[in-house]
Amino acid sequence: MMSTMTNERADSPACATASLGNYRFHDLPDPSKWADCVHCGMCLESCPTYEQTGQEQHSPRGRVHLMKSVGEGKLELTPDLLDPIFTCLDCRACTTACPADVDVGGLIEQVRGQLRQAVPLTGWKAFVSDLFLKGVFPHPSRLDWLGRLLKWYQKSGLQTVARKTGLLKVMPDHLAEMEAILPEVGTPVRKKYRHQPLIKAKGETKRTVAILTGCVMDVMFSDINEATIRVLTRNGNDVVIVPNQTCCGALHVHAGDRETGRKLAKQNIEAFQDVDHVIVNAAGCGCMLKEYPELFRHDPEWHEKAEQFAAKVEDVSKFLHDTGFKPPKAELNVRLTYHDACHLAHGQGIRQEPRALIESIPGMEMVAMPNADRCCGSAGIYNITHPDMAQAVLESKMQHVPQEVELISMGNPGCMLQMALGVKKYGRSQKIVHTVQLLDWAYQKEEGKDVRI
Amino acid sequence: MRKRPIATSDPHIQALARIVGEQAILYRKEDLMAYDCDGFTVHRHLPKAVVFPNSTEQVAAVVKYCHDHDLPFLARGAGTGLSGGAIPLNGEVVISLTRMKRLLHVDLENRRAVVEPGFVNLKLTNSVAHRGYYYAPDPSSQYCCTIGGNVAENAGGAHCLKYGVTTNHILGLEVVLPNGEVIEIGANGVPDPPGYDLLGLLTGSEGTLGIVTKITVRLLKNPEAKQTVLAYFDEVEDASQTVSDIISAGIVPAALEMMDQTAIEAVEAAAFPVGHPKDIAALLLIEVDGISAGIDEQIDDILTICRRHHVREVKVAQSEEERARWWANRKTGFGAMGAISPDYLVQDGVIPRSRLPEVLNEIANISRKYGLRIANIFHAGDGNLHPLVLFDASKPGETERALAAGSECLKACAAVGGSITGEHGVGIEKKEEMRFIFTDEEILAQTAIRDVFNPKNLLNAGKLFPTPGRCVETKTPSTVK
Repeated sequence: MMSTMTNERADSPACATASLGNYRFHDLPDPSKWADCVHCGMCLESCPTYEQTGQEQHSPRGRVHLMKSVGEGKLELTPDLLDPIFTCLDCRACTTACPADVDVGGLIEQVRGQLRQAVPLTGWKAFVSDLFLKGVFPHPSRLDWLGRLLKWYQKSGLQTVARKTGLLKVMPDHLAEMEAILPEVGTPVRKKYRHQPLIKAKGETKRTVAILTGCVMDVMFSDINEATIRVLTRNGNDVVIVPNQTCCGALHVHAGDRETGRKLAKQNIEAFQDVDHVIVNAAGCGCMLKEYPELFRHDPEWHEKAEQFAAKVEDVSKFLHDTGFKPPKAELNVRLTYHDACHLAHGQGIRQEPRALIESIPGMEMVAMPNADRCCGSAGIYNITHPDMAQAVLESKMQHVPQEVELISMGNPGCMLQMALGVKKYGRSQKIVHTVQLLDWAYQKEEGKDVRI
Repeated sequence: MRKRPIATSDPHIQALARIVGEQAILYRKEDLMAYDCDGFTVHRHLPKAVVFPNSTEQVAAVVKYCHDHDLPFLARGAGTGLSGGAIPLNGEVVISLTRMKRLLHVDLENRRAVVEPGFVNLKLTNSVAHRGYYYAPDPSSQYCCTIGGNVAENAGGAHCLKYGVTTNHILGLEVVLPNGEVIEIGANGVPDPPGYDLLGLLTGSEGTLGIVTKITVRLLKNPEAKQTVLAYFDEVEDASQTVSDIISAGIVPAALEMMDQTAIEAVEAAAFPVGHPKDIAALLLIEVDGISAGIDEQIDDILTICRRHHVREVKVAQSEEERARWWANRKTGFGAMGAISPDYLVQDGVIPRSRLPEVLNEIANISRKYGLRIANIFHAGDGNLHPLVLFDASKPGETERALAAGSECLKACAAVGGSITGEHGVGIEKKEEMRFIFTDEEILAQTAIRDVFNPKNLLNAGKLFPTPGRCVETKTPSTVK
């Protein structure tokens, strides 16, 4: 049935009209992805939204079943399908749990692409989505401008006034909560190094790497980008910041806007054409870059380019680990725990490397977090689009954070914001850090600098 | 999880929503489709609605409503069952127990615990492990299946060879009867009360006699020591002779599992490969546990028996990680079939251990006859065979061929004096095959028992027993008359 219903061939031109059951738009889902699912249910308990609801349309197996049903013509792409398909956190925990390696996350993204075209956003949601996903994230200069605005808001005293006068109460609760944990905005590294295309390694140069500066990362967490550069150069890497890079497109692909995702992917593939290594410090972005080939399933030319590009991408923790980083000599006497970002552990299979980096620092006492690879509810902008579910998932996550630790380390900016929110909301005291920051501090201390964690 | 108001004029949906709440009922096709089958995917039907009660009272109220309004209904846990016991064939109201998932009470002094039906099997062991206890029945789906579902199916598992199946671990049940009445059996977990063994009757009744809402289970102390052996054989006969000799040597392994070449191909292609050689005919996974003294001798004996039967390679797990990897590989065996086939259906025959080579030969013949591959995963110690018939439902006629092949496998098991199910239940899948082992009169005697509990036959109708022959009358749910 599958083969007779698929009218689209892998080598067909991008403009070909084709359909697969009730999927009727270009970039059809890949039926071989759901063919692997035998409905055994081993994924159920791995799924945070099934944990919260106990409902199978909010479980990996249930979602796969619904997506397959559309492909078999048993269901239509209706507004009632939005809830099951868009409530998925895209955390990929089911991919880890699945005995048959079903790529549920990839399938969800493909079907969101179809569903968003069949049921376009309307009204204020369309406006906000277009404004941010198309109007801001893909444009570094506009992001900079937004960052400056945020910085001015924080420094001018307006933030203090807003908080004191209760001006924030006009915002929905979950947005007001987010406002409270926004980090202090620094200077983006793209801007700082715009006249210095190459930052030399300390000592002998072993290789040259490019870093993805990221969109939100560089505005909200430029200090982590700085730390990444220092740690990379410290380990014999010349670091280049290629000028034409842009947002990775993960947020767009999660939201079903695969067209913008492809546009951004092409720009990045071309921007990084001349480098051998693309180092990423945001798990969500790294996972997206590695999955660019998925976006070009129906475009052989770009598919090949995307494959070549994806092979160059590596998460900073794995890259440092695999290229023989220098274990720091100075002690950092702290007790900490590690949270596996979904797109690092489930998305890229990177679990041991960041832990090895942390444990190489003398004085570090690592306390294991039960269910460390459980989603925190950040999931890109899920905590803004699905505040109730994100909140429930966060609450469940925070119950597993050991009481006695001072720091929670992780490798993804979205998780950092969400976990900071969790710490504040549940009266905890932990500081949230990125794994490379720990290494950076240890190296700085080794150089005799005063490091305060 | 958007909060959406009820938007239907169906008075039954509105009434059920008033019992469980608007956010605890599904009735839109897009949501219901996720409930049209369970782990057995061959037969499908949309339910009328799915409700998510959070208390015994809500379950009783839903049941009473269905009873009073002649609506067929059934209970569902995680929906991992392999015989179709939770498939709403008659458009049932599905009562999902996944929100009743609390661990109510742990009483280690008396080695028991009380759980709600939606509590996941493995979570019970995880909740008491740090104090040295565990819950013994370990179906391969224990990561996600519920104890309520285990009770309904009398679930077994790899370690049931030594410790018994679910029914041997149930001390008490709270049950909502099909008319909405709530009863307690074996109150306070006192084992073996006088009178008929109602716990035994309810356990394994496949959701046809009542809906369990509270379960008192037995907990066991962790064994002092545990050793696991993996053995590779070039001939199936050698592997099965090894199994027979281990048992007849007086060793009672905690688990004694076998996989054949096709099964090994699947698990090695899937998410938890171990690195088994692909050219072996069969492997055995053998575990012994108990007090430390004597374990090493048992292992030595097992290794000797393996070698006597020309084992190609045999090894003892050197670490807990290694042991866990071997078990993850085995326990995800069914799902792993997805890696080598779009669909599978698993059979659940029981045979005398000594007849294994003969039955496997017969299964190979059936495989050739129907042109479908069949993998075999086998709880070899207790003779419980799982032939997995691989097929592609999208190819016309293949599902029917797979069903016929599966049925013939069961016939082969029955023919050597075995049974058609060891632990997966009869459900929809094997109800006709019940005739291989029971006469019409024997079946009628059993449906007469069902009618005492479930006189209107609204609860999970059309499961467990075959559609009777012409000379026998039976009830069908009123809505499908």
